[in-house]
Amino acid sequence: MPPILLQTAAVTKINVKSIPQRFWLSLSTVVAVALVVMVLLAFLAMANGFQRTIAGSGSDEIAIVLRAGSQAEINSGITREQVRLIEEAPGVARSAEGRPLVSAELYLVVDGVKRATQTKANLPLRGIGPEGAALRKGISIVQGRMFTPGTNEIVVGKSLLKEFEGFELGQTASFATTRWTVVGVFEAGGSVFESEIWGDLPVIQSLFNRNNVFQTARVRLTSPAALAQLKQYVENDPRLKLDAKSEVEYFADQASQTTDLIQKLGWPLAIAMAFGALAGALNTMYSSVASRATEIATLRAIGFGGFPAFIGTLAESLVLAAIGGAVGAIATWLIFDGITASTLGGSFTQVVFSFQLSPELVAQGVVLALIVGLIGGLFPAFRAARLPIIAGLQGIG
Amino acid sequence: MNDLSLIRKNLFRKRMRAALMIVSIFFAFAIFGVLGAFLRAFYAGQDLAQADRLVVVNKINFTQPLPISYFNRIRNIEGVRQVSHANWFGGYYQDPKNFTVVYAVEPQTYVDIIQDLIELTPEEKKAFISERTGAVVGEALARKWGWKVGDRVPMGSNIYTQRNGSQTWDMTIVAIARPTSPRVDTNFMMFQYAYFNETRTFDKDTIGWILLTTTSPGINDRVSKTIDAMFANSPYETSTDTEKAFNKAFIAQLGNIALIVGLVVGAAFVTILMVVGNTMAMSIRERTREIGVLKTLGFPRGRILKLVLGESVLLTLLGGLPGMAVAFLATLALRDSISQFVPGLAVTADIYIAALILMLALGIVTGIIPAVNAMRLRIASALGRA
Repeated sequence: MPPILLQTAAVTKINVKSIPQRFWLSLSTVVAVALVVMVLLAFLAMANGFQRTIAGSGSDEIAIVLRAGSQAEINSGITREQVRLIEEAPGVARSAEGRPLVSAELYLVVDGVKRATQTKANLPLRGIGPEGAALRKGISIVQGRMFTPGTNEIVVGKSLLKEFEGFELGQTASFATTRWTVVGVFEAGGSVFESEIWGDLPVIQSLFNRNNVFQTARVRLTSPAALAQLKQYVENDPRLKLDAKSEVEYFADQASQTTDLIQKLGWPLAIAMAFGALAGALNTMYSSVASRATEIATLRAIGFGGFPAFIGTLAESLVLAAIGGAVGAIATWLIFDGITASTLGGSFTQVVFSFQLSPELVAQGVVLALIVGLIGGLFPAFRAARLPIIAGLQGIG
Repeated sequence: MNDLSLIRKNLFRKRMRAALMIVSIFFAFAIFGVLGAFLRAFYAGQDLAQADRLVVVNKINFTQPLPISYFNRIRNIEGVRQVSHANWFGGYYQDPKNFTVVYAVEPQTYVDIIQDLIELTPEEKKAFISERTGAVVGEALARKWGWKVGDRVPMGSNIYTQRNGSQTWDMTIVAIARPTSPRVDTNFMMFQYAYFNETRTFDKDTIGWILLTTTSPGINDRVSKTIDAMFANSPYETSTDTEKAFNKAFIAQLGNIALIVGLVVGAAFVTILMVVGNTMAMSIRERTREIGVLKTLGFPRGRILKLVLGESVLLTLLGGLPGMAVAFLATLALRDSISQFVPGLAVTADIYIAALILMLALGIVTGIIPAVNAMRLRIASALGRA
């Protein structure tokens, strides 16, 4: 091994091994970096969890048809005649008996009470027809049974049950003057549908005075490519002032605004805080260099070069930052990962989601930590490399 | 040399170190100021809501409609002073991405009921009432699009369809509303319910919610109960609450914003406290011998304490005050671009006061241990410690 590498290795080892001598100062740098990484990762995990819940809900074999320009289900409205026209559209898959796989649905907002805060919150009540559940992937009833058509029965999503009161199996929920019995709880692969209440479409239409009104239609396509045919059909018929898009596209649009906002808040905050941590790191490293001035000068006097002193100091700083980054990531994982929260989604109703940390996010946090360590070590490392030997030996760091 | 210049000299004996600490304190307070303003603006709706203003919404949920007849029925209830109603329009300008807050309101009564929030001259009110397609636009919204009185603007709706098949309503701007306080959000537009109701294709003769004031806040409870009892067991049951409680519940739906902001500010402060505290302790330790010399010269213990504490407080002020200044500028710059999410962003007086108290506290907390140690230092050991 060339001498310069041996020297560098030796100095680096001395530096890292001497960290415990500056325990409190080093600890404060580690904690500062860890806090920065935690704040960043908590925000990113929140954005990621929200994004996955919503974006994970869509299938590219399902198209959703809304009134032109309405953007969200809650704003949309379509007539029975339009539903009939959509059933005849090209690209629509049919069941073995030849029925078109189209589900016209009513989407209403009702009040529920959030367990954590005991405050009212908007919950989506969806009226679905016989095809409704089959047009969503991975739906399974985990408790009770599906509602019976023509009755005041409802089934609720698992996430909704967890966050909101009064929807336990067998309970009666009342929306205005009508009472509804919860007969089942369903799972939907962690998607946004798990934050919904489902009931029989005609019953909901009549009890909410919405006869012959639908919000949206969901369509099973013969293949993802059939979307283009459906779009063209909708565009060419003047009776259909509607937008057809794939469910994937619809949910991606829904998620983007909130996710953007969370990320736009998270990064600037983390960067501003990183400056604070940087000041701490620089401080720690300058005092490390000062306290080892005699030692560095001695090494230089016996023939060590400036470069090993430079790398040694930089390595110490990077080690501290890396520990801080790891501690921050582990702490975020322990404290925040899997926490469920709910907020208003694009359709003005509560979406239940959980914080999700992913390896990519952890990598971003660790990179931020290492940048702090790199800059925090760079200037003190220059000083270590340039330390005048005589002054160092006299102890005038 | 007076004490202040001594403190200053001490603080800047290592310029790099002082600068770094000032920068980190600066960031802590800039974060504090911006997030404080953010929270403040976020909860403004709740703070500005008048105690005697009540909101009547459909009991199922506030997005469900109420029949227009409720307006007259509520007007006749004893103890009700003013009543008005509004309907959410789902507005946008030119592109659905340019989401705009637009309400269809009963013009005469609505302007009166919110007169504590916005100012209109009697002529402007008259114009709003008499012009069928007239719209009142808030100052901030008018500034955003460069609108003037007399402009005709097409407003799109992502909910309603016009009788003529389109989704846009032409409106004539008859007045620009000025806020009564800088915290009032003026990113809104309101237009006549009559025009809206005649031209929309569905949900005719329904309204979104009813706003009312009572003759005295003391009878709010009784009036609320009377209203809800009046419509009980009808197809449109109501839920009446104070505007404050209503706004609070709505904000709570967005999730626990206050907790998240609190955690972030807390984390930023702990970081800074550690960095600054450690550095202060270290810089005082380095000066042990000097402090011994000051004591030999006859500096009393109290004065030593004052010198060291003064140094840490000066440090936090040097970082904190510019931090708050930047927070002020940042909120000013952000104000219009995020008004859609949090309207009326501004650093208010109480945030400045809280920041000042925090700066002093931070200075004292970080300085107190080194200061007490310095005060208690025995001359012999100070001079002996090399």
